[in-house]
Parts: sequence; structure tokens; C-alpha cells
Amino acid sequence: MTYSFQRVYRLNLKYISYFAWYYGFYIIKRGPSYLIASLSLPLTLLFMVTILSHGALISYALIGGFVSIIASNCINGAADAAFFRLQIKIQDLFVPTRITPDDYMMGLTLSYLVFSLPGIILYAILGIYFKIFTFGSILPIILILIAVTVSVSNIAFIIAGVLKHIRNVWGITAVLSIVMTVLPPTFYPYTFLPKWILYILSISPVTPAAVLLQGVLGLEPIIWDMVYILILETLAFLFLGRKFIRWRE
Amino acid sequence: MIEIEGLKKRYSRNFYALKGIDLNIDRRVTTIIGRNGAGKTTLIRILSTQLSPSEGRATIEGYDIMKDTRKVREIISSIPQEAQPIGILSPMEQVKLYLIAKGFSAQQASKAAREALEELDMDNFRNSPSDTLSGGMKRKVFVAMALASNSEVIFLDEPTTGLDPLSRMEVWSAVKRLKSKVILTTHYMEEAQELSDTVCVMDSGKAVSYGTIQELLKSYENMMRAEKMGGTVYDIMVGNIAIKYIGKSDVDKFLQMGYDIKNINLDDLFLSKGVSLES
Repeated sequence: MTYSFQRVYRLNLKYISYFAWYYGFYIIKRGPSYLIASLSLPLTLLFMVTILSHGALISYALIGGFVSIIASNCINGAADAAFFRLQIKIQDLFVPTRITPDDYMMGLTLSYLVFSLPGIILYAILGIYFKIFTFGSILPIILILIAVTVSVSNIAFIIAGVLKHIRNVWGITAVLSIVMTVLPPTFYPYTFLPKWILYILSISPVTPAAVLLQGVLGLEPIIWDMVYILILETLAFLFLGRKFIRWRE
Repeated sequence: MIEIEGLKKRYSRNFYALKGIDLNIDRRVTTIIGRNGAGKTTLIRILSTQLSPSEGRATIEGYDIMKDTRKVREIISSIPQEAQPIGILSPMEQVKLYLIAKGFSAQQASKAAREALEELDMDNFRNSPSDTLSGGMKRKVFVAMALASNSEVIFLDEPTTGLDPLSRMEVWSAVKRLKSKVILTTHYMEEAQELSDTVCVMDSGKAVSYGTIQELLKSYENMMRAEKMGGTVYDIMVGNIAIKYIGKSDVDKFLQMGYDIKNINLDDLFLSKGVSLES
């Protein structure tokens, strides 16, 4: 525990915030097509789920959109992390500096969060408009979304660390992005699934996050096991991500 | 001072990228030359703490690269070969971010970044997204990082690859003005000749020669290089070109045999020491 506190204490917040702002905000500003691309799937699913359910499942699709925007942006980070390490050598550039792998990973992770902000704001506005949020749900929602950001971006670092060549990374992240964000009960009630399938799908941290969000917002009963699963997965992926980053090869 | 003892890097059971390097580098600018695959980049990556050696040790200004990694990272800057800037960021943003990673304050970083970009004649492009820049300009962004960092030791892995002659001269001028110790790799012999106090020739994972240019070329004193496409008399054959080192008294004879006669320069050191069948 002391070790973790020391690591947090030693984080280079200046570097992390500059990296997050530069890489997160300037993609929005200078490459808006990426933003539109990242919003297109959740908005399409919101539209389809609403039409097919005659509006009955709109709350689920809205919550799903929240999780899916963050998760897909973070998993696409695997492509960035691999590209930075293998192709344009940005990781190598930062290794012989004062920053640690924790700073680098945190900077990249936060940049995905910054890049996800317009989507989060859009979905927050829609959530307020459709009255799905309660005052008491705000803190749990934030905590769940942070857990999704940390766990999924560390999955991205693991993928980036395992890859030896850049050529397959975009294909892998495209598949994972769909599998991790659409297959779990992000856009539909988790009660539609048999429990054993739900637990299998919990391999992806997006599943416990979506189940918990549905519970927190009173759409379905809370499965408390999912709290532990999400916490454990977040810690496990955080640990593995740090192992696979290949800072000094 | 950079001291290297028995440095080896093994990538697989039978493949050593470095086969035991022993070197003491104490001059301001040292250039490492050698063919592709000679081990130049592996050596630079190990010295700049990006890669761990399999055997041996190295110290930079007294700090061990494995034991005192943090200290080493505080005093060095290293520009990787093939590094490319992040496309959406401008040169100014990239250099500033790098300097912040090196421990500069935001204000110092902005000032140093602006000055370095100005020195490399990139002032007009400093706020343009890097994906709009030419290949040479992109490379200069990294040179600007090294310049602005003002580190005690700077490693530049092929800093001028892809640059036009004018840009290359701008980089040379910047390197000459640096107070730092510089270790650079290059494939351009004229660059090595222009910048280096000492030259290290690498071949097949070994340092085969090290010294000042004068020392290294001493064995070629009073010699000339004769070369001829398809010639039958040679010391070295490169492709179809026969190369023969001759005394000045033999010049006329080889001219009559259809050979071109050239003055000795670093190319010859590279040809004789840095070319092996294995590499």
C-alpha cells in the first residue's frame, strides 16, 4: 500500500496534464473526424435501440453510450501505444527522461478521457434531458467510469506491449472495441442474459461497469459481486499494463 | 566520459547484436559509423537506457547505466533513429512536452523550445501540425529537442537522415555550438568528418576502430584510392567495383589501367574496417 502511495506521490503531474491536454484536446481540435468516428457507434446504437424498443430501452442505450465511448476510445489507445512504441518511437524518446512508465501511461490514459469529454458531455445532457440521473448517482457513475478508463486503457497497454509488429494493431483494436463495448450488456438490460453468460462476459471490465450503472440508476437490481469484479479487474489490468509496457526493453 | 566494458547484447540464442564492446569516449563529439546491422543503434539504445545489455557494463559521467539509471536519465538526451513527431502536434508543442519530461518548467520549456526551433530555421512552422511538415522538417523537430534540452550528453541516432544539404548544415552548425558531449551515428562520412573529434567504426557487433580521424587515417598516409568498375586488381570488391589502395608512385600506372584515382577520406576507413561479409 505504501508503495502505491509512493508511486502516486511521485507522479509527474505537470507532464501528465500537458500530455493529456495536448494529445487529448488537439485531436478534437485538429482531427474532428476522429471525434465523429468515436461517437458514431454509440449514437447509432442509441438510435436503433430506441426505435426497436419503441423508446422503452432508451435509458439503457444512454448509459451504454457513456461506457462505450470511454471504453472504445481507451481500447483504441492500444493502437496509439503500439504506434508510439514500434513505429514513431515516441516511447523510446521519453524513456531517457525524468518521467516514469506510470507518468507516460497516465498521460496517455488521461488523454483518452479528455478526448472522450465531448461524448461524455453530450450523453450527460441527454441523460439530464431524459431524466435518468439522480443527484446521488453522480459519484458512483464517476467512479465507475474512472474504473473503466483505467482498466480498459491498461488492456490497451498490454496489447501494445505484446505486439511485435504494428501491422495487426488496427484490426485487433477494431475487433476488441466492438466485442468489448457492444457484446456486454451496455445497450440492453443485463437481465436479458443468463447469469452464467453474464459472468463469462465479465472478463471484460465493461460488463461489470454496465451492470453496476444499470443498478446505480435504478434500472435493474444491483449485483454487488460486480463491484468486486470491477475493482479486482481494474487492479489486475493496472498491474499487468505496467508489466507489459516494455519501458526499458 | 563514457566508459564501456565488455558490452554485449543477445537477441536470441545465436544472435548477438553486440559482441563485446570496450570503449572509452572522452572527446566532445564522437561519431559511430558502420553498416546497417553493425550494432550502432543497439549500442546507442543501451547507453541511453532504452535497452538493457545482456552482459558488460557502461558508465556515463561516472553513473552506471543499470545501477544509476535515474541519474543517467537526468543528464542525457537521446533522439531515436526513425523517430517521427506525433502528427497532430506542432513542433513547438512536441519540443515543449519533451522538455517538460526532462524537468523544465513550462515557461523555461516554451523559451528553450522557441529558441531551438528558431536556430534550426523552423520558426515559421513552429505552430503547424507536424503532419503538414516535410520529412526533413519532422527530423529537425527531434534535433530541436536535443538542442533545447541542453543535456550533458546527447545521443543522436542518424540525426540528419532525410535532410536536404542546407538543413543538414544547419544541424551541423547547431551540433558544433552545443556544449554537450555528443555521440551520433551516421551513414554520411562527410558528416562524421565535419563534426567528429573521434570516430568509432563498428562492424558485426564489434568496435573495430576508434580514434581521431587523423589517427584512424594514419595507416593510409601517402596512399590514394584507385577504383574501377569491373577491375581485376583490388583490395576490396564492393559489388562490381574494384578498390585498390596504392602509393602515390603507382598513380600513373593505375590511371593507364583505367582506374579512377581518389584522395583518401573516411569512406576508406569505412570500406576497409566497416565492411565484412557477415554484416
